[in-house]
Amino acid sequence: MTIVLDARDLERRHALEGSEVTALRGVSLQVEEGEYVAIVGPSGSGKSTLLTLLGGLDLPSSGSVAILGASLSALPDRALTRLRLERIGFVFQRFHLLPVLTARENVELPMAEMGVAPDARRARAAELLAYVGLADRSGHRPTQLSGGEMQRVAIARALANRPAILLADEPTGELDAATGREILALFRRLHADGTTLVVVTHDERVTSEASRVVRMLDGRIVD
Amino acid sequence: MMTWRWAIRDLLRHPTRSALSLLGVAVAAALLLDMVMLSGGIERSFGELLRSRGYQLRISPLGTLPFDTEATLGDVTALTVALRRDPAVREVAPVLGSTMQGAHGAIAASLVTYGVTPTSQGIYTLESGRDLTATDTVGILLSVPAATRLGAAVGDTVSLRGRLDPQMANAGAERRVLVRGIVRFLYDAREQPSVAVALAAAQRLGGPDLTDRASVLMVRIDEASDLTAVTARLRAAHADVAVNSIDDLVAQFRLRLTYFRQLSLILGSISLVVTVLLVGTLLAITVNERSGEIATLRAIGVARMNIARQVLVQGLLLSVLGGAAGMVLGLGTARWLDAILTSFPGLPAAISFFVAEPAPLAIAAATLLLTGVLAGLPSAWRAASTPIAAALRSDAP
Amino acid sequence: MLRRLASCVVLITVLWPGHAKAQRIGIAIEQRLAEASGLAVGDTLSVASPNGGPRRPAVVAAIIEPRADPATILRKEYRVRFHLADLAELLGQPDRIDRAAILLQPGVDPDSARALLDRTAFGYELHGTAALAASSSTTFLVVSRFHRAIAIISVLASAIFLLCLMLLKVDARRQDVAMLRFIGISRRTVFIALLLEAGVIAAVGGVLGIGIAALTSAAVNAFYQQTFATTLIFSLLTWRTIVEAALLGLVLGLGAGALAAWRLVRLPPLVLWGRAG
Ligand SMILES: Nc1ncnc2c1ncn2[C@@H]1O[C@H](COP(=O)(O)OP(=O)(O)OP(=O)(O)O)[C@@H](O)[C@H]1O
Ligand SMILES: [Mg+2]
Repeated sequence: MTIVLDARDLERRHALEGSEVTALRGVSLQVEEGEYVAIVGPSGSGKSTLLTLLGGLDLPSSGSVAILGASLSALPDRALTRLRLERIGFVFQRFHLLPVLTARENVELPMAEMGVAPDARRARAAELLAYVGLADRSGHRPTQLSGGEMQRVAIARALANRPAILLADEPTGELDAATGREILALFRRLHADGTTLVVVTHDERVTSEASRVVRMLDGRIVD
Repeated sequence: MMTWRWAIRDLLRHPTRSALSLLGVAVAAALLLDMVMLSGGIERSFGELLRSRGYQLRISPLGTLPFDTEATLGDVTALTVALRRDPAVREVAPVLGSTMQGAHGAIAASLVTYGVTPTSQGIYTLESGRDLTATDTVGILLSVPAATRLGAAVGDTVSLRGRLDPQMANAGAERRVLVRGIVRFLYDAREQPSVAVALAAAQRLGGPDLTDRASVLMVRIDEASDLTAVTARLRAAHADVAVNSIDDLVAQFRLRLTYFRQLSLILGSISLVVTVLLVGTLLAITVNERSGEIATLRAIGVARMNIARQVLVQGLLLSVLGGAAGMVLGLGTARWLDAILTSFPGLPAAISFFVAEPAPLAIAAATLLLTGVLAGLPSAWRAASTPIAAALRSDAP
Repeated sequence: MLRRLASCVVLITVLWPGHAKAQRIGIAIEQRLAEASGLAVGDTLSVASPNGGPRRPAVVAAIIEPRADPATILRKEYRVRFHLADLAELLGQPDRIDRAAILLQPGVDPDSARALLDRTAFGYELHGTAALAASSSTTFLVVSRFHRAIAIISVLASAIFLLCLMLLKVDARRQDVAMLRFIGISRRTVFIALLLEAGVIAAVGGVLGIGIAALTSAAVNAFYQQTFATTLIFSLLTWRTIVEAALLGLVLGLGAGALAAWRLVRLPPLVLWGRAG
């Protein structure tokens, strides 16, 4: 099996007016292709911090992250950005859609950045919106969508460039139980279709569906 | 990246704010345009006026500019002959300016009188009636204000009285003359009552003091000859008179207009500063507000360059749209300001202070656009270097 | 061309001292000319009319500083004063003048005197002092009308600028306002707080602006007084102007602040909160 993601001895410290906060204290994690990993743990245990490091949004104070063999800390910003665009999909707790763009345009955005021709990206956006069950809402702005719908648009956007791995930080955190279940069903389907998933969550339901559960406490992985 | 679509929609997100900024940029652009038009306008329009009839040189009494004082040139016949002897000189047109008393029936008015040689003159164009002929000593041409003031029309008989002589308590020579035509005097001020007569007649009316004298000689030289060389040659040959090319006159005129050039420079710079502040502040605040959005874009893999470009495009949009509105506004205000300034007493009516010339306008427009983009640079830089993880974390719900 | 009242242009050349055998006339020259030519009291030069005529030796009897006159600051010519008879003779026009000033007996009405003189004599025009002053100040009236027009445009531009900045500033307070409204602070209180903030900004800006105005005004005066070698004042910053500008700035600032604040407080707090996300 191919190792999609390989993190070793990650530490992340934040300097705060004199004192120092350590968010991660030596975390190692490997994710194989097709795996569905759930990261759980109490608030403040460093889950989000780990995810930002895995996705190359932030760099570790020490340790290393490699995606498909490419070490992130060795990459210049331009290449790192390109890698995020091509290989990584992000889903955030608060959706983070662009309010001035429609659902379809939000999904098209990463493809436009890749240089996909307008016709092709339009077709793919329609296909993805249909996949997440929003075929009829493509012309709507985020403000005209519910939380669950926004999160599904965000998932479609994350999938646009066929990433090697999808990272999600509490994707159901802002949603009610029923809507959260719909999103989890979508993840299950993605997993079944072969997408590699790493999901940070408080949601115990995820743990029953994931192929592996990683528990964190106080900046460390506990087993 | 769908840069333009995003930039435009983002500006439309806060319509009042964007509209006000646009309006601000428009007023600043209008001011800039006006100042660019003012800075070179009067010089250009003065140069055009001087060049309009194709006489490239002016000869006036030493130490004076044409028609600037009442000093006159003597021995004009001899001077004209001498000038014509230069191979480059095509035509010499003497003009004698003085004041005369005109009367038509019971109406009398003081008239500015130009004595000219009708066959070669560069100071009027015929509006109606006919021009004077070379031998016509009883014909005159009136400007519209003169005709109106005297109530005279083409074909009427008018009497002209030359220089008044208080000692003798008489008005010197008086002549009955015929109005041949109505003309427009190129160098006349608005509403200036003027009359043109044959040079000899003007000299006679002026009495013994003006015998064989003229105020200015307008000289036309061969197009093919070198103007600077001819000017220098004539200067050397006639050291007792002032020989000025149009460029010399414009340069002299320029000195008197220093004030307007400085004013236009200062106000033009202020309008650019206002543009920078407006566009800069607006973009800084927008970028601040959107730091979460920008971080998201960076997270999903949008390149720094594209983020910066989007901010710069917004600055460009503001200055293009504001600038376009400002051009319209500026042309309107330029008319208004021109109407004020051209009411300077004695200024030729043909002169404008605000002249719209393509090159300066293009420079103004380019400066404005560049300013808009430059004003966006700090914000673009800040947007491009947004720390992704921190901005996502602190983004408001 | 800006045609001006008759003035005599006199050619001036420095003459060798020994040359001056003919009867010398006394002249007074302008300070500027003295500086430019290095002439001093007692020096002899020769003068002649540009229209020809006799050339006569003249001795500098005095150096004068003509009264500062805005109408002449742009003129480059130098001024020289002659005794009337000397100048008339030089110009070949003895017993001739351009104009004369007439002082009337006390109590005589200038208008009726003018009418009487106009009727009884012939060959000149009479102008009342007031009318002359009005016509000779037309240039300055035009310039000041132009300045007023520019001022109107500037005030318009700065009003828009101020409104824009206030709007942006108050808009940036969106979240705070929503927060305050959530915890139960009344619209009125929030509005007044925003207005006060706008007022303080306008006042501080006004003070800074007056400071800048005082500096630039001093710089402008220094520059032009130097350029034109005159004591004329070009930029006059009066208390009246200061008060007017400060009040205008304050009123505009408060108006703009009120407008922007009203736009905010009028919205329900939830809308304020949501729109920012
Ligand atoms: N930028 C930062 N500056 C200072 N401290 C930080 C920063 N980011 C994270 N931390 C700290 O690091 C620790 C881990 O934070 P993190 O957000 O990763 O926790 P989490 O497990 O995601 O919590 P939650 O479940 O509440 O989201 C916390 O103590 C937090 O305060
Ligand atoms: Mg978290």
